[in-house]
Amino acid sequence: MRILLVEDDHEIQSFVTDALLGAGYEVDAADDGQTASSLAAKRSYHGMIVDLGLPDLDGIDLILQLRHSGVRSPVLILSARRSVDERVRGLELGGDDYLTKPFAVAELLARMRNLLRRHSSVAEDPTRLHVGDLELDLLKRRATRAGDVLNLSPQEFALLEYLCRNAGKVVTRSMLLADVWGMRFQPDTNVVDVHIYRLRGKVDLPGRSPLIKTLRGIGYVVTAA
Amino acid sequence: MSSPPPDPVTRSAAWRISLWATLAFAVGTLIVFAMLQQFMVSQIQQRSDAWLSGEVAVLGDVAGRTPKDNLYDRVVGEVAELASREVPNQRKGQGVDNSAVFFLQAAEDGPPRLWVGEGDGLKHLEAIRSSRVLAGVPRDVKVRGTSYPFRVAATRIADGSYIYLGLSEQDELRVLRDMMIRFVFIWLLIVLLGFVIVFYTTRRMLGYVREITEAASHIGESDLTSRVPNLTGKDEVGHLARTLNRMLDRIENTVHQLHTITGALAHDLRSPLTAVRGKLEVSLSRDLKADQIEPIAAAIDELDRLTDFLNASLDVAEAKADALRLSRREILLDELVRDMIALYEPSMAEKGIQVSVKILDSCQVLVDAALIHRVLANLLDNEIKHLPPCCNVQISLHADEKVAVLTVEDNGPGFDIAVQSRLFQQRVKGRDSRGYGLGLAFVQAVVRAHGGAVSASNRLSGGIRLSIEIPLTKRSGGSVHDVIAARA
Repeated sequence: MRILLVEDDHEIQSFVTDALLGAGYEVDAADDGQTASSLAAKRSYHGMIVDLGLPDLDGIDLILQLRHSGVRSPVLILSARRSVDERVRGLELGGDDYLTKPFAVAELLARMRNLLRRHSSVAEDPTRLHVGDLELDLLKRRATRAGDVLNLSPQEFALLEYLCRNAGKVVTRSMLLADVWGMRFQPDTNVVDVHIYRLRGKVDLPGRSPLIKTLRGIGYVVTAA
Repeated sequence: MSSPPPDPVTRSAAWRISLWATLAFAVGTLIVFAMLQQFMVSQIQQRSDAWLSGEVAVLGDVAGRTPKDNLYDRVVGEVAELASREVPNQRKGQGVDNSAVFFLQAAEDGPPRLWVGEGDGLKHLEAIRSSRVLAGVPRDVKVRGTSYPFRVAATRIADGSYIYLGLSEQDELRVLRDMMIRFVFIWLLIVLLGFVIVFYTTRRMLGYVREITEAASHIGESDLTSRVPNLTGKDEVGHLARTLNRMLDRIENTVHQLHTITGALAHDLRSPLTAVRGKLEVSLSRDLKADQIEPIAAAIDELDRLTDFLNASLDVAEAKADALRLSRREILLDELVRDMIALYEPSMAEKGIQVSVKILDSCQVLVDAALIHRVLANLLDNEIKHLPPCCNVQISLHADEKVAVLTVEDNGPGFDIAVQSRLFQQRVKGRDSRGYGLGLAFVQAVVRAHGGAVSASNRLSGGIRLSIEIPLTKRSGGSVHDVIAARA
């Protein structure tokens, strides 16, 4: 998959490019809005990463301009502003996402992947999820592990569902906080970890192979392997 | 936010000012009219007195020269009759009224010698004698059986008897009464007109002041672009409006500058921070020895803490300067609190802290939900960090008259006495706190930016009590009784 990266800071551009290449994407990088427009006109991209503070153009205007000329690919917005203004929120509703600087590379990759998946998988909405011997019945809101019903609260089920939908992929704490709880802030304490810890206590009982794994400093991943 | 319902006119300053001004005006004009009336009265009196004196002198002269024979009565009587036709103040078209004038000749005592007028003149003579009318000085005489007094002048003739000429004051009084009625009518009209004019002008003036007040009250609620309606007038109100607008220009400039500075600071610091963090992270993903990983991970942690600090101090700085950009929407505060507790409850339980939540009312508020999330997170993070195990936290939410009141109480060690009076200041923190001392400053700044208030104190029974008030958009109908208790 090919991604267009629009970022004027060369340091950031270089390590994000490296990270995307390392994750198996093809990357075209642009320093400013002008270059980005001409690149986007030449070929289509599966996704775009756009910094808001470009030298020649406001990032939002670039996105609106691209949208206007028919570019439909999802955008991950990078913002150095702390408070994300209304216009970004508006875009977010349209299926895009944003990250404030400084961000974790893992977070960027996770969100990019999330965006691309959301964009490509249109009708695929399963009623059951499987990870190893864990099975989630999304209609009955019931989880079983090797046939044994897990006694989960609705919130725990929602958390497990999110992890299982992203099985094999890293999800970060702020992704969990945003997508499961609908909140965007940086807690001062390990509130998300405690939820995962509790969930793990119910899902990964002693004697069973652990499904929920912690990636230190990054987040969590659910995988059967 | 909805503007308050317009006050009834009778409570406006314009109304009060007009009332007082009209009162003063009415009293003033009343005095002028009264003086005018008095002047008219004395003028009319003088005219009739002059006529009376003149006529009575003529009559006295005629009576003195006319021989006292049989014709005397006729001659004097006719002269008197003639004189009565020239009565002053006589109403037009109303012929000579017999009762309006009388002529009387009488000695010091005894019956009248000569009487020209209505009736036999006995009553008149009696009245004249009892009020001692002196020659040369006209006097008012009230005669029994007549409704109006007479003005009577007297003169003494050669034979020692007196000649009296009486003029009824009926017409005079009628003229004065008519005038009085006109005066009162004109006075009422002038007063009413005065009231209307004063009310209209003050209302117009104060209307400008009200417009200025309204515009000014909207400014500062994160809107600095609007201006007070600019009045071209050269009066005080126009001057006030222009001064206010100039002040707003300066404030807007300052805030804009602050935004530019914080924005630039944020941007200039963030880009290198992002680059450094990215490089560290990329280097972590390479194959490294365990002893190399640790310092890099620690450096990333420190960078994240630095970022948090940067964010928080810029937020507090902006919020304190009333320059926080709020993206408000209507939410139910009770739901937000419930969600937040659901998120934090496991962490608190993990630390052995028992939480109980009491939500009494559903509270609709117009807030920036993301900021309120952070406010609550701040408070709950604080509880987790500072409360020893086995303590209780009680969180309650209820709707007061116009505000939603959220209270957080615990039975922990309470605030450090040394910082208690400065809890909401920046960089103030307890002795064993690891934070930057921005938490409560941030909480207060955000709540204030929403038009609310925060108070914090140590409870008498130990522990803290922190209460936050946020204005309600409307008090939601049914009250919700909801008690969640969670046990560690």
